[in-house]
Amino acid sequence: MTGRMGIEVLAPSLLAGEGRGGGAVQQRTRPSRTLRLLPAALCLLLSFAHAAAPTTPPATLAPAQEQRAVAIQRNLRCPLCDTGESIAESRSDISIKMRSSVREQIVDGRSDSEIYTFFSQRYGNFVLLDPPKTGRNLLLWSAPLLALAGGGAVLWAFLRRKGTAAPASAAQDAEPYDSYLDQVRRDTGGGPG
Amino acid sequence: MTDTPSTQTTKPNPAPIWKRAIPPLIAAALVGVLGYTLLSPAKNVTTGGPLIGKAAPAFTLTSLDGVPISLASLKGRPVVLNFWASWCGPCREEAPLFRELGTQQTADGVAILGILFQETKEQNARDFIKEYALAYPNLRDPGINTGVDYGVSGIPETVFIDKAGIVQFMDRGGLTRERLNAGLEKIGVKGI
Repeated sequence: MTGRMGIEVLAPSLLAGEGRGGGAVQQRTRPSRTLRLLPAALCLLLSFAHAAAPTTPPATLAPAQEQRAVAIQRNLRCPLCDTGESIAESRSDISIKMRSSVREQIVDGRSDSEIYTFFSQRYGNFVLLDPPKTGRNLLLWSAPLLALAGGGAVLWAFLRRKGTAAPASAAQDAEPYDSYLDQVRRDTGGGPG
Repeated sequence: MTDTPSTQTTKPNPAPIWKRAIPPLIAAALVGVLGYTLLSPAKNVTTGGPLIGKAAPAFTLTSLDGVPISLASLKGRPVVLNFWASWCGPCREEAPLFRELGTQQTADGVAILGILFQETKEQNARDFIKEYALAYPNLRDPGINTGVDYGVSGIPETVFIDKAGIVQFMDRGGLTRERLNAGLEKIGVKGI
């Protein structure tokens, strides 16, 4: 998803003459090209992002609120950056806007979860760098633990079987088959068999 | 009389074939899933999103001609919202489709609105509108507030809103005729 968006917004001039019709789709399906363009795009971004940034006066926050704002900003993904960086690190316009929106919402007295909900309702859970551990996400979080438990169980069963199988076969090996002894055992009604 | 049938005692029975096949089959399935996921782009990359089926976020923005336009004022009409900028290549490619759709606009038919997204120079947008003869309002979104409300992360992005004001379809990336018609169909508008 971000392949198209990131590159287009970061480096418009690179795309000015790009292919016809489904140009954007082609780009998305060719990650190698995207990756090659990325450094150039980032350079361009650094050169003009600040000039084009909307100039909203930052809301003044108390130190504790400021800390909250930074923590939230670190947990929100820049929606157009390919690199998965947070809006706290990104210098794109949309991240600047989202940062000021986080601060405004803190001033308005919204809770952390309300702010996360605000962004996930617009951009989807994709923007949450620390996705909630509920619903389908539970599967994601629990899968490694389940895999570990499953692997452990298999290993335990394997080792246990090996442990019990080994002495039995050793005992058998220690006593080679002797038809005479077998005959004696049968006659006396004892022994294996 | 002491013949020792070695096969009976030394060689344990091999595991049944289906049991031996399980580990390689699991490994192959994992590799298959990984490969499929890596090679096929996600299905909802170009369409869909958290806004589908929800009420379109309200806005009141000023057009490049200085006229304030609100989404509420278009209630009762299907609306096509197109986020764009003059520097965006795919926006340029889809512009003729919007001109064509614009010619079909009637008083109670589909309403088209353009919303500028990170337009660096307004004059470039005006030149773009002139070049493609776009006959519908194009609005300024200076703080990207509306852009954020619609979850726009890149452009072009087109939102299809039905008569009831519900977002029915979103398309990211340059529209083709088929993709535009797919969106129009969702809001009950005849394709072009």
